Amino acid sequence: MRLKELIEQPCGLKFMLDNLDVHSGYSRRVLLDTEMPKDILSIENNYKILKEFYDVVKEQKNQSQINSLQFKLCNLKEIQGTINHLKNKYVLDDIELFEVKHLAMLSLDIQQIMNKLQLNDMIFIPNLEEVVSILDPDGMKIASFYIYDSYSGKLSELRRKMKVKEDFDEALFNEASGIEDEIRAKISMQLSKYADELEAAQKSLAFIDLNLAKAYQTIKYDLCFPNIADDGVTEYEGMFHPEVKEALELRGCTFQPVDIAFWNKPTLITGANMGGKTVVLKTLTLCQYLFQYGFGIPAKRARIVIKDKIYFCIGDEQSIEKGLSSFAAEMKKIDTVIKASRGSGNILALIDEPARTTNPKEGTALVSALVKVLEVENVSLVMTTHYDIEPTDSRRLKVKGFENGVMNYELVEVKDGEVPHEALNIAESLGIDREWIAEAREIVNDRIRHN
Amino acid sequence: MPFIEELIKYKSCSIVGLAKNTGKTVSLNYVLDRLPLDKMRIAVSSIGIDGETTDQVTRTAKPEITLREGTYFATSEKHYLQRKLVSELVEVSDENTSLGRIVTAKALTRGKILLSGPSSNLGLRRWKKSIEKYDIDLILIDGALSRMSLASPATSESMILSTGAAYSANINTLVQKTAFVVDLINLDLTSEDNILRFKDINNGVWAVDDDDEIHDLKVTSSLATNIDTEGIGHCKTLYLSGALTDTFLEHIRGKRIFKGMEIVVTDFTKVFLTPMLYKRFVNGGGKISVMMKSKLIAVTVNPTAPNGMVLDSEKLCKTMSEAIKLPVYDLKKCD
Repeated sequence: MRLKELIEQPCGLKFMLDNLDVHSGYSRRVLLDTEMPKDILSIENNYKILKEFYDVVKEQKNQSQINSLQFKLCNLKEIQGTINHLKNKYVLDDIELFEVKHLAMLSLDIQQIMNKLQLNDMIFIPNLEEVVSILDPDGMKIASFYIYDSYSGKLSELRRKMKVKEDFDEALFNEASGIEDEIRAKISMQLSKYADELEAAQKSLAFIDLNLAKAYQTIKYDLCFPNIADDGVTEYEGMFHPEVKEALELRGCTFQPVDIAFWNKPTLITGANMGGKTVVLKTLTLCQYLFQYGFGIPAKRARIVIKDKIYFCIGDEQSIEKGLSSFAAEMKKIDTVIKASRGSGNILALIDEPARTTNPKEGTALVSALVKVLEVENVSLVMTTHYDIEPTDSRRLKVKGFENGVMNYELVEVKDGEVPHEALNIAESLGIDREWIAEAREIVNDRIRHN
Repeated sequence: MPFIEELIKYKSCSIVGLAKNTGKTVSLNYVLDRLPLDKMRIAVSSIGIDGETTDQVTRTAKPEITLREGTYFATSEKHYLQRKLVSELVEVSDENTSLGRIVTAKALTRGKILLSGPSSNLGLRRWKKSIEKYDIDLILIDGALSRMSLASPATSESMILSTGAAYSANINTLVQKTAFVVDLINLDLTSEDNILRFKDINNGVWAVDDDDEIHDLKVTSSLATNIDTEGIGHCKTLYLSGALTDTFLEHIRGKRIFKGMEIVVTDFTKVFLTPMLYKRFVNGGGKISVMMKSKLIAVTVNPTAPNGMVLDSEKLCKTMSEAIKLPVYDLKKCD
């Protein structure tokens, strides 16, 4: 899966990408086109590079160099079409030659800044000095281009003649154009050797842009550098959701960070309504993606297991275009998780209140069965539910819930499978009609007495 | 040399034709040929496609634009590759048109070029910004037919207006029609107070009453006729952020609370009134003024229409000049 196919998942990934301050549209496209890394080496290496950038960006003394780096990166443009022409040994026109020169000079400039920032070991930029010298025969170091007089004595002679003529001389112009064409063919041939270097340089510059942006994001949202866990246990301390946190802070509220750990045993989260269970699932999904793509992680501390596939199933997904009801859409989605669990690969499945839209009896059965089916070696399942499901040896976490009229979002381990009955208390605290709540309480108490 | 001295006082100039074949390109070439390039840097662009060798509408021959050494110009990729001059490419923008991206270059020899610059106000502003670093003294914009809005003072400080037999074949009608456009271009600037008061308002119609109280008339479009004037005794100024149309003027005319008021529009390109209605409003004590104004430097005429009709050049210039109180030139006869 490429990042652009993941971005619409309702976990807050889009927010993080929208708030990633990249300087070139090309860099953003490169990022969105990236397949999700799944091997320890690339993830480790990505974090190593990001850490270096982060340390450099934090240093006040580097600010002016970084500013000029950012300024340069604004000029990064994709010229893949031109590079392909070079690879195929086409003759480039003036505009394409200009683009090549522009990229080569930009890459030299950025290389210099990277040296000064001592980041040159991190990202390799091919040396394009040769390319610049082909396209800058007079050594002017200006990023403009035309077929310079110095390419050919004959050409410069013809141009001199053209300049002294009062009027436009078509014959002279055509003769000069012929020579220009020959020169274009010649320098295109020389440049074609550097097509791969140009392509690599373009990618490296985008990579620099992305790392710079990630470093700034890490500082801005106070994100952490995670450890890669090899024992199968993912663990977050002080985990938060940046988008929700920002929205809360805008309203003058604070976000209560949570601690959570999970491994390949099903983890069920129960707890009161409005207890932030869905936000926990969203954050876990977000963190996993950010981790695989080498971003800072919204937590105080994190150690994360690499996954091959991530499934985030959130309850009310209506597939109206497909004509499916919310229940059908949900079943289909969970079905893909179960199918995937039977294949190879490490899976993280995050399922929010499955079967919540159907009758509680069957719903409970479906959810209990799901836990059993997904209790396999290669699946880490984190699921929220309101149902009192069959006690299995799955882990149970619960949101602490209302304490002295204030919601405590902390997650605590519970031994028994008892689902908390706090809905009525919460409804009451919301100021919902008293008669309705009282009536409901009566019914609940009746049932308990009957049992 | 007529009007060149006046022109170089400004940083930008739009050349606008009232109809096709009114000699806009002749005017541009005339100016380009005479500006003192040894003393100043010039950049030229056009609104959309221009400088075609044959006119796309009437299929008549059209002069190309001739540039001298040192002139900066913007055109599309396609036209750049077809240029008949030696030039140095200095900028390739992200601005895409049907003819490719907009590129900026500097002419190194004299020669001909098809101009096709950015075709929107925003694109034009972006291009102007991108060439700031070349210390350009004067930007010339070849305006396109019926795209007067792009000649607005928001994009250029001064204007040259081209008119001629192609616009009307009768000297009197031609003079009248041109004079009306000139009247609009020369609309007075509104007061400093009004400019400060309205400059950040981007939508709607607003009224200022005799107590200097400002009211939103809750008009969503100047074509709409339901105007909320509740609580306003008499309106002394009306500010329109959009267009001023006949329908609108017709609607408010004759209402007592609008008697003798000043209508403020952003610039003359927002006035879409027929001459009759405009005159009636002004003669009835009303006033129309603008927030921004560009200086009309000259009016040029082309006495020849594409259908072969030729007007008496001398008589045309004289009548026109008397009517608009500005110098009028037939550039084919100048120098």
